[in-house]
Amino acid sequence: MSHHPSEPPPAASVAGPLPAAGSAALLDDPQEWGSFGRPVGGEGQSAGAWDSQVVLDGMHCAACALTIEEALRSVPGVERAEVSAAARRARVVWRPAQVLPSQWMAAVQRAGYQALPAMDALARERRQAENRKALWRWLVAGFCMMQVMMYAWPAYVAQPGDLSLEMETLLRWASWVISVPVVLFACGPFFSNALRDIRLRRVSMDLPVALGMLITFVVSTAGTFDPAGLFGREVYFDSLTMFVFFLLTGRWLELRLRDRTAGALEAVMNRLPDSVERRAADGGFARVAVRRLAVGDVVRVLPGEAFPADGCIVRGDTQVDEALLTGESTPVARAEGSQVTAGSYNLQSAVEVLVQGVGGGTRFAQIVALMESASLQKPRLAQLADRIARPFLVGVLIAAALAAAWWWPTDPGHALMVAVAVLIVTCPCALSLATPVAMLTAAGTLARHGVLVRNLQGLEALAAVDTLVFDKTGTLTRDGMAVQTVQPAPGVDAEAALAWAAALAHQSIHPVSRAVAAAGHGGVLGRGRHVSVEDVQELAGQGLVGTLKEEGAAERRLRLGSTHYAGATAADGSGPLVVLSEERGGALHELARFELREDVRPEAAAVVQQLQREGVRVLLLSGDRPAAVQRVAAQAGITESHGDCTPSDKLERMQAAQAQGRHVAMVGDGLNDGPVLAGAHVSFAFGKAVPLAQSRSDFVVLGEQLTLVPQALLLARRTLRVVRQNLWWAACYNALTVPLAVMGWMPAWLAGLGMAASSLLVVLNAARLARALPDVSLPAGGHAPAAPAQPVLEMA
Amino acid sequence: MDILYLLIPLSVALVLVILGALWWAVHRGQFDSVEQEGERILRDG
Repeated sequence: MSHHPSEPPPAASVAGPLPAAGSAALLDDPQEWGSFGRPVGGEGQSAGAWDSQVVLDGMHCAACALTIEEALRSVPGVERAEVSAAARRARVVWRPAQVLPSQWMAAVQRAGYQALPAMDALARERRQAENRKALWRWLVAGFCMMQVMMYAWPAYVAQPGDLSLEMETLLRWASWVISVPVVLFACGPFFSNALRDIRLRRVSMDLPVALGMLITFVVSTAGTFDPAGLFGREVYFDSLTMFVFFLLTGRWLELRLRDRTAGALEAVMNRLPDSVERRAADGGFARVAVRRLAVGDVVRVLPGEAFPADGCIVRGDTQVDEALLTGESTPVARAEGSQVTAGSYNLQSAVEVLVQGVGGGTRFAQIVALMESASLQKPRLAQLADRIARPFLVGVLIAAALAAAWWWPTDPGHALMVAVAVLIVTCPCALSLATPVAMLTAAGTLARHGVLVRNLQGLEALAAVDTLVFDKTGTLTRDGMAVQTVQPAPGVDAEAALAWAAALAHQSIHPVSRAVAAAGHGGVLGRGRHVSVEDVQELAGQGLVGTLKEEGAAERRLRLGSTHYAGATAADGSGPLVVLSEERGGALHELARFELREDVRPEAAAVVQQLQREGVRVLLLSGDRPAAVQRVAAQAGITESHGDCTPSDKLERMQAAQAQGRHVAMVGDGLNDGPVLAGAHVSFAFGKAVPLAQSRSDFVVLGEQLTLVPQALLLARRTLRVVRQNLWWAACYNALTVPLAVMGWMPAWLAGLGMAASSLLVVLNAARLARALPDVSLPAGGHAPAAPAQPVLEMA
Repeated sequence: MDILYLLIPLSVALVLVILGALWWAVHRGQFDSVEQEGERILRDG
């Protein structure tokens, strides 16, 4: 909690200490609701409700999620409650008319957990405190374990008569003393959770473990102080401290790995700066908290700082890093007048930005909201595992009791230790973590590369996809067109013509003009021509006219437009054509003609090929003219393409494919194709301009790389493979070890090792998904996906 | 051999002292961000 010294007091109080758990009533103030949730928009029965995010404290295992959900759902006025064990967050949809936040938070507290509003500072502090505590418990357990081993060792190696009775007793007492902090402190969370579960009459993951620890400690204590008693003189301090250490190691590593998974989310949320320099009325700059910014403010963003809001640069040029928003790691140039997005980094020089969107209105906030809601979903497989976990635990308790009863007549001490092994070796945690950990990790990896997963279930659907439909020509092409050839009139320099045309075209936003401007841009700058254009008029649908001034040359009146407008003879080419001509002496003289083509993304062909290699059928359904669609399809290597499709045509064709048992993924711009996207098994919204708030697709590709689509597909397949491996592992592990433990062939320390290793293996297996995205191999001679966005230009 | 009767209780006491030192280290934040010291040189100021 460090406050910037120059921060004004109101901001400090906003970012200052947040309501403690005891003062949850503060959160009933409607003013506060916006800080950890947002109103549910839209129509239907949830109108007027609020959708809030809380961080949960005291969750130690995936099985807790179900309990908290039940507790929340039982509160009248709470419409939906989704708890994610992996992110340890809950999403609650509630109606202010019926219930207030303090009331449903109290319900969570009654269930034995603590809910805190997911305001970031608080969550981070919580996590740090929790991390420290976990580390400390682990150190205590580890250190004491080593010492207990030292004391236990003589008893293992001594021949009869080597060790005097007093010495043995002394060693046992020493072991007991060292074990006490382990049991009382390091095992604390296991015991407190188990107690809570007993009070609430339910079974959870920690109950068997705590029972096992308690029984071992009691048996060993009895053996130490009353060797002639019922449980015999055997002691198990070494086993006890060892399995506590293993369990804590497992949980500690799990915590770290989970933090890293949730880290993708946090990295996004912590991106905005706390304060920024705002221009005051007198023209000077003063530092204010980002929360106090309003639309219309002008802020100065220094190099190295993140942009605090969406806006438009009003002074200065710079390079920005938009990796967070698009996954694109190459810096992009942003000149005066261009848009910048909150959350991207200013890399090069200080710029002044006119704020156009703040807070919830920024694209950044929409991304965060998307990621938050996705991380709280429970995929179908995870729900299944959660349902199995509870009866499974009851079964384990019964099995342990039966095993103890079976062995009791021969040796009570041994009987209890068999029961302990059964209790400890089972691992429903691996079962319930198997799916969500893998899917969240995959979603985090995709998010880092600029693909947002709106819907975790979508990953499962995507893995099964065998048909991919591009539902717009625009997904395969860059916006608009590119200049393919320049044909200058006799005696005219091609480069000069292009530079003139570009200067003129720069004044227009028509796609053709943009293509000409883009083609000429390099030429104008590269060769130091100083061309300026004045008095430009645009005639809709025909072309541009303007006066061109060039250093050391006379003024010329130029036209750029259709053949008819520019007074040229009709074209014989197949593609669209624009002509540059000069008005001289009342007549038009042609200077050059530019042949255009659809600017197919350089990686499109490779992407289609890759998809086909993976056994995916690729289709192009478009509403454009059939000829244009055919051209694009041919360039991208798509064999099945249909032009002139209305949305209902698309839907029909897609449903026909689905009727054949195919799993269809749709790649569109996520805008006008609501029914088509909804009808597909899984859908991508592609393109920079995707309005996140309205988009209903399962995946949103923020970057500009088409390769992300096959990469997401490959990653989804890999994710499902990992989930399947995890579930199989958890099932086989339990099926194998529980019978062994019941038979009495599993010592307690091995049981502890087994359980910790099993949980950890599941998390580690999932962590493999956090590595780089699968490669999409590009054919030799193809354009690398990172090729510069300059169109290929031929000078005829 | 007799010295063990002193050394074993002493080792128990030593363990408790070391645990105390670890407690101090953890709660002073020594392990909160292990990378931080290494990164410090890369930052300005």
